[in-house]
Amino acid sequence: MASPFQNRPRPTRRASRLLNIGVPYLWLGLFLLLPVAIVLQISLAEPTAAQPPYAALWQWVEEGVLQIRLDFQSYRLLWSDSLYLASFLNSLQVALVCTLLCLLLGYPMAYAIATAPERWRLPLLMLIVLPFWTSFLIRVYAWIGILKTNGFLNNFLLWLGVIDEPLAILYTQTAVYIGIVYSYLPFMILPLYANLTRLDPTLLEAAADLGCRPLRAFLRVTLPLSRAGIVAGSMLVFIPAVGEFVIPDLLGGPQTLMVGRMLWTEFFSNMDWPLAAALALVLLGLLVVPFVLMQRWQQGALEDRP
Amino acid sequence: MAIAIDRRSLEPWQDPKAQPYVRIERVTKKFGDVYAVDDVSLSIFQGEFFSLLGSSGCGKTTLLRILAGLEYPSSGRIFIDGADVTDLPPYNRPVNMMFQSYALFPHMTVEQNVEFGLKQERMPRRERAERVAEMLDLLKIGELRRRRPDQLSGGQRQRVALARSLAKHPKLLLLDEPLGALDKRLRENTQFELVNLQERIGTTFITVTHDQEEAMTMSTRLAVMDAGQIVQVDTPTGIYEYPNCRFVARFIGSVNLFEGKVVERDGDEVLVETPLGRPMRMRCPQPLALGSPVTVAVRPEKVRLCAAFREEAVNQIRGLVEDIAYLGDVSIYHVRVSPGQIVEMTLANIQPRTEQALTWGQEVAMEWSPTSGVVLAD
Amino acid sequence: MRRQRWSLYTVLAFGYAFLYLPVLLLIVYSFNESRLVTVWSGFSLKWYGELLHNRQLLDAAWLSIRIAATNATFAVVLGTLAANALVRHGRFRGRTGFELLLTAPLVMPDVIIGLSLLLLFVALQQSVGWPGGRGFTTITVAHITFSLAYVAVVVRARLAQIDRSLEEAAMDLGAHPLTVYLRITLPLIAPALLSGWLLAFTLSLDDLVIASFVSGPGATTLPMVVYSSVRMGVSPQINALATIIVVFVAVAVAIAALTTRGLGSTRTGRRPTRD
Repeated sequence: MASPFQNRPRPTRRASRLLNIGVPYLWLGLFLLLPVAIVLQISLAEPTAAQPPYAALWQWVEEGVLQIRLDFQSYRLLWSDSLYLASFLNSLQVALVCTLLCLLLGYPMAYAIATAPERWRLPLLMLIVLPFWTSFLIRVYAWIGILKTNGFLNNFLLWLGVIDEPLAILYTQTAVYIGIVYSYLPFMILPLYANLTRLDPTLLEAAADLGCRPLRAFLRVTLPLSRAGIVAGSMLVFIPAVGEFVIPDLLGGPQTLMVGRMLWTEFFSNMDWPLAAALALVLLGLLVVPFVLMQRWQQGALEDRP
Repeated sequence: MAIAIDRRSLEPWQDPKAQPYVRIERVTKKFGDVYAVDDVSLSIFQGEFFSLLGSSGCGKTTLLRILAGLEYPSSGRIFIDGADVTDLPPYNRPVNMMFQSYALFPHMTVEQNVEFGLKQERMPRRERAERVAEMLDLLKIGELRRRRPDQLSGGQRQRVALARSLAKHPKLLLLDEPLGALDKRLRENTQFELVNLQERIGTTFITVTHDQEEAMTMSTRLAVMDAGQIVQVDTPTGIYEYPNCRFVARFIGSVNLFEGKVVERDGDEVLVETPLGRPMRMRCPQPLALGSPVTVAVRPEKVRLCAAFREEAVNQIRGLVEDIAYLGDVSIYHVRVSPGQIVEMTLANIQPRTEQALTWGQEVAMEWSPTSGVVLAD
Repeated sequence: MRRQRWSLYTVLAFGYAFLYLPVLLLIVYSFNESRLVTVWSGFSLKWYGELLHNRQLLDAAWLSIRIAATNATFAVVLGTLAANALVRHGRFRGRTGFELLLTAPLVMPDVIIGLSLLLLFVALQQSVGWPGGRGFTTITVAHITFSLAYVAVVVRARLAQIDRSLEEAAMDLGAHPLTVYLRITLPLIAPALLSGWLLAFTLSLDDLVIASFVSGPGATTLPMVVYSSVRMGVSPQINALATIIVVFVAVAVAIAALTTRGLGSTRTGRRPTRD
């Protein structure tokens, strides 16, 4: 039903519009959009040793003459130095592998919760969300103690007799995989669960009634219908994983090249702000496609609500 | 003479001098390119129980929302008690509405719900308490005062919603499908209660409903709407007995329609020739040119078994019984009178069914009187 | 059918073990006497004692809590306004851009948000002289920027569920739109406002990357302290801190669960009877 005052904006309506749309718009424009524009500007500046460490993009050379100096050196460097390209590719690979692992572990979990007896669902779901409320940093840190050479996992495996000497897991890419899957698993499970609970159970009964075996019914009915949840969960894991910094920094080794970490290093250690800005922009560009997918899903999810 | 005056006070729409209480003047509402309400004019009198009847999407709810001020008309004006309220926002109108979903505030008790409107007009506390008590009393829900809406049954919610919308003593009460959320049995009881309540407090009611039976039972007058327009406004009897077009005839109750054309006029009766071969003589006060195409509408319960069938008689027809639906009090017979036409006949089951004569495949003759149907101009 | 359920539950159990074992180990070893976190040498509370005397860490925690609370309050206000705009103002001009800006913080990598905001603050400082220095204000502004998007998601979902006719009924009963919002809408979305606030609080308390970019000398948040001590390797004090956080969260969740169950029982205690 259309809202009242639709064709006759009244003062209250106008004030409400200004407040509700204008204020958040202004805030986001100032602190989200403008910063990205500045990143673009600085990525085209020349790095200097000054404070802040970049040259002005434009200056008035003489009365009425504006000189603009665009420096594409940072972008050229990104392209020519294989280190950066490798870090982008590796970030994508890590994010992809982790997304798949999350899906592999998260889907059966979400399915089990969604099909569990009604009164168990909420507590089970709470247990998925709960870790999120404790510190992310500390939970990642916990893995250091588990994965290191004389850590819990190695001691346990040695005690079992599965291995003879400790495995080197910490400070490898494997540790990064474990850390990311561990941290982002809830983000995969939640949208999947939301999607699976909305699935009409009589559909499966109908499939069974029509002679479909359970596994086949799952593949032909449940799985296609949960596609929206799969996409949403995957995007929620993939996108932040690509730009992840903390996990590769704490668990990964020096050979674990990832963009987020690269950006951090360029910025804090090398003080090359233009290069960091260029890295940020390229990363942002990479994430546009999954972002649009995600946006589409979110709208759909809000609209098909009864 | 005395009778005439009486009749006029009971039926103010018959009186040309009566002032309408609610006047809707050429109101149109467009949503984008769609006309939800299309050039509607209507006069409703004080104390009426008026119904807007139509199928979903016919614009009846939009018209009600326009009266409430929840929607503004694209053009046209609304007058209530002589004042132009077209541009008044809902919170400044002397009108209250009972919503289809009841819209009881879930975070307030029954008492607080009823009190809400009174608080908005800053009524003093003591007066407010009295009014709330009066309303709870009126609807016999005093013992529910401390409950919240989710602790009430459907029928109780309906009463609370009614109490809340009546609390401000509105000049006009709008009811959107007031019985729509109740189950069938409760609905029938509540119909009468609602009418009694309305007669007691004398407030003008306008309800919206898609249920023709409900509209017929409760209303003083009703307006049948279709595609944003008002098709007919009349009393329940008028609508049922004298529909002004095929749409209304078919919308309310069942009806047999015979297409034909006028061949003769005799006083206020016309002779209609139909493709069935049998001429029909019907009462028809409105002027119709000879030869104009018309539809004869006859209600199934007006069709009787014919004692003496004669080939040349009018308003008689013969056919084979094709279907029988036994409803207990009555049975409905579908009689095929031609390859393309079935006549529906309703007969009261005076005898136990087993003893009834009619059976499938049997040939029957039927008839009706010239005054028990109408002639509709196409 | 039965076998499948069991294998499903096995995966579920494994998943929960995966999620909870690391935290449990942290807690257990926080009571370990040895400095070597993985070798058990006896029960001790000494790391808790050290934690409570760690001035730097306590100061950082206090700063983080102040930032988180301020952030959550502003984020709830701005996020609710944004949710109002999306749910109540239909197709306004610039809606697509609005939604885009509102979704971006949910998925933008922290490093980008942090870097871009720092560059903004530097540029602003050069051109308009604000912010004077980087610290509490800049971190809070940065946190509000991404938190408000999360709040908007939560509040929007709740707002979209509200039956519009409740607000119309209030207006019909004579309430001015502002009164309607305060007396009807706000009480109905209150649970979402609360969870939005808690979410924003937690997000802020948890953020390392963005705070590292936009903070200045002298403003060190709790995650920054934890990070620098963790980078040095395993530190039993951090285990103790983790235990305190987990206990705190568990208690909070238990209280929340009990109170909502309490509410739930009065809600469903007397089911509406059909009559």
